[in-house]
Amino acid sequence: MQLTLAIHPITEIRFGENTRLDGTVLVTAKDELYRLASQVPGIESVDFEIVCPGESCRAGPIFDIVEPRAKAPGGSPDWPGILGAPQTAGSGTTHVLNGAAVTLLREESPGESRGVTGFVLEMSGEAASASHYAQLNHLIIIPHSKPSLPVHAQQKAYRLAQLQIAVHLARAALDTTPELTQQFDLSAAENLTASPRVAYVGQIFSRQRKPEADEPILYGTDTEGMLPTLLHPNEWLDGALVPSYHTSLGGAETYFYQNHPVIAELYRRHQARELNFAGTVATIASADNLDRERNTRFAAHLVKWALKADAAVLTKFGGGVPHTDLAETARLLECNGIKTAVQVTDLARDRRVESALLFNFPVVNAIVCIGGNSTQWKLPAVERVIAANSALAELLAGPFEIDSHNVIGVANQQGASRLRSMVY
Amino acid sequence: MRAVHYLNQFFGGLGGEEKAGAPLEVHTGAAGPGKLLEQLLGSNAEIVTTLICGDNYAVENQQSIVSAVLEKVREANADLFVAGPCFQSGRYGMAAGSLCSAVQAKLGIPVIAGMAQENPGADLYRDTLFIIDSGDNAAKMRDVMNRMATLAKKLLAKEAVGLPKEEGYIPRGLIRDHFVEKTAAERLVEMVLAKVKDEPFESEMIPTAFAPVPMPPGVKDLQKAKLMLITDGGLVPKGNPDRIQSSAATRWGSYTIKDRADLRSEDYEISHGGYDPQFVRQDPNRLVPLDVMRELEQEGVIGELYDEFISTSGLANPLSNTRRMGREMAEKAKRLGIDAIILTST
Repeated sequence: MQLTLAIHPITEIRFGENTRLDGTVLVTAKDELYRLASQVPGIESVDFEIVCPGESCRAGPIFDIVEPRAKAPGGSPDWPGILGAPQTAGSGTTHVLNGAAVTLLREESPGESRGVTGFVLEMSGEAASASHYAQLNHLIIIPHSKPSLPVHAQQKAYRLAQLQIAVHLARAALDTTPELTQQFDLSAAENLTASPRVAYVGQIFSRQRKPEADEPILYGTDTEGMLPTLLHPNEWLDGALVPSYHTSLGGAETYFYQNHPVIAELYRRHQARELNFAGTVATIASADNLDRERNTRFAAHLVKWALKADAAVLTKFGGGVPHTDLAETARLLECNGIKTAVQVTDLARDRRVESALLFNFPVVNAIVCIGGNSTQWKLPAVERVIAANSALAELLAGPFEIDSHNVIGVANQQGASRLRSMVY
Repeated sequence: MRAVHYLNQFFGGLGGEEKAGAPLEVHTGAAGPGKLLEQLLGSNAEIVTTLICGDNYAVENQQSIVSAVLEKVREANADLFVAGPCFQSGRYGMAAGSLCSAVQAKLGIPVIAGMAQENPGADLYRDTLFIIDSGDNAAKMRDVMNRMATLAKKLLAKEAVGLPKEEGYIPRGLIRDHFVEKTAAERLVEMVLAKVKDEPFESEMIPTAFAPVPMPPGVKDLQKAKLMLITDGGLVPKGNPDRIQSSAATRWGSYTIKDRADLRSEDYEISHGGYDPQFVRQDPNRLVPLDVMRELEQEGVIGELYDEFISTSGLANPLSNTRRMGREMAEKAKRLGIDAIILTST
């Protein structure tokens, strides 16, 4: 399976007459986008804003961030299972508006347990310097869904509007020669028999909650009843997956599926012939003990017998239950002779090592720990606050204290975070 | 800068094990290794008082020693309290740790100790104190003192303290955040490659081993037993009167179920952000099984059910919270003469 990314660098987004690329400037037209979004069932109206890196601007709460990408004809479809038929993603050419993002806001605060502000996009200052998202040019979509819409229909409308607009923007690049192309092909470096075979095991959902009705996660399915499954790394990068509507601690965004930090790093080292990227397993954190037993064993089994890996790296989706499932999967892999390294998030709100991990398996001893609980920022008042309504705008006006977990991108669980817990 | 230094009988020059019963002595100025310490602390530093005590005396009279030392440090108007280094001497380490931790807590001045990692005092006090790792070789006194003085000066100047391996102190078991060059993904892949090649790697977190909790003896006579229900599923009366936080809760509540046959959904809400609450919302008895307990009570299977249930939220809660709340709940249950508790979690 070969995927080519045709990279078009974007340094600015501007409103104009129609959607097109003008060198590295992405020009788009509000009315054109409005027509597209208002055709999505459940959307009553929609507003758009453009923000750029360094601007004294804040937006939130964030629903999701998507990189504008569009498939060239002849390859797999755009967002299979959501915008098109659920055919296998990850082959052919995908045009990428690199440096741009399509970012959609929620209309409600997610509530107390995750912080009332929800995920905030901060474009300037110290907090911004800790998030990759502050370096992007964002087209912000502010949806106004129809009143008394059930939650699942509202969230589905958000998902569809955002993906459709992202694809629409990137289609402007289909006839343009990209500045560079990148190849993603596991067969490209086949004579790697001497290098360790390394697999990636990534959780894509946690069954602590039921998915919403009709919630698309993997090829349009909601993952209910799903067993751990093999995916080609290109499928993660090219539209097979979006995160759940339910936010997870630290965050997982579509943008970092498209630019998956773990998969990108494994590919890089594969191409440098330092390892042999064996493939990936998508798995889910469990609802109960039987579910845990089944999922962790299936995942380990696939890594051993289908991918024949010597080593595996594991990431989780969410908080405590995903954390224990991650550790159990790693333990099973180690028991099968497969070396592991796991990435966990910061659970120690009292900043004590004893509270940090939910496992103590001597074999699961290679742990990347994303910190965050001792990093807070006092966000100042900014010139521009973008939110779906005045109450949310007031909430985000500043100055206010925010945990690093709620500045989108900072404590990301897909491998993008530069936060690290240090034991002292 | 005025410092007070604590030494045991050996380093204080009173004598060896035969003097281990010597009571606390107060000397003006520096003594023994304190002279080196004074020199290393810099020209404006003075060890105004040296306190010397026999190891046995200090351990056997811990309370009186602590109050006497606090008094002397206060009298000396000290800016810094230093104890040891104690190397591997266990009694010395225990005394030094308890004195440092009392001075730090009561007087709020910087304190520093020195001990070997294996010293039982290090085990007990490492999380509250900066203890320079002295190793077990007293011949390294100059080197150890130098690190103690360097860290003491940083603490006095309120400068940021570096990591254990930079400063030479025993890891305290605490966490702080750093922003690093490499992403988590890069660190993850680098670590697994080192591991698979049998090369050294540094895990970013260390698992903690906990002492096993022994299984309590069974209830002797269930038909006479008084039972209690406790949940960490966050079920609270409507309005959440104790304002129990939905995540990392620091509070718990006890709520009446007197004369009630079961829990009605309209009377309760859930303060817990970590599970899908729809089923408990529909029927709170599925979290706090009052309906079934009443049946068992009527059938005479159990003696009686205590007429309140206890609730808190068990989401993302650090051990320092849960340990305290658990103790408080256990004390309450004990006071009430409860024989057995059913704990329901989510």
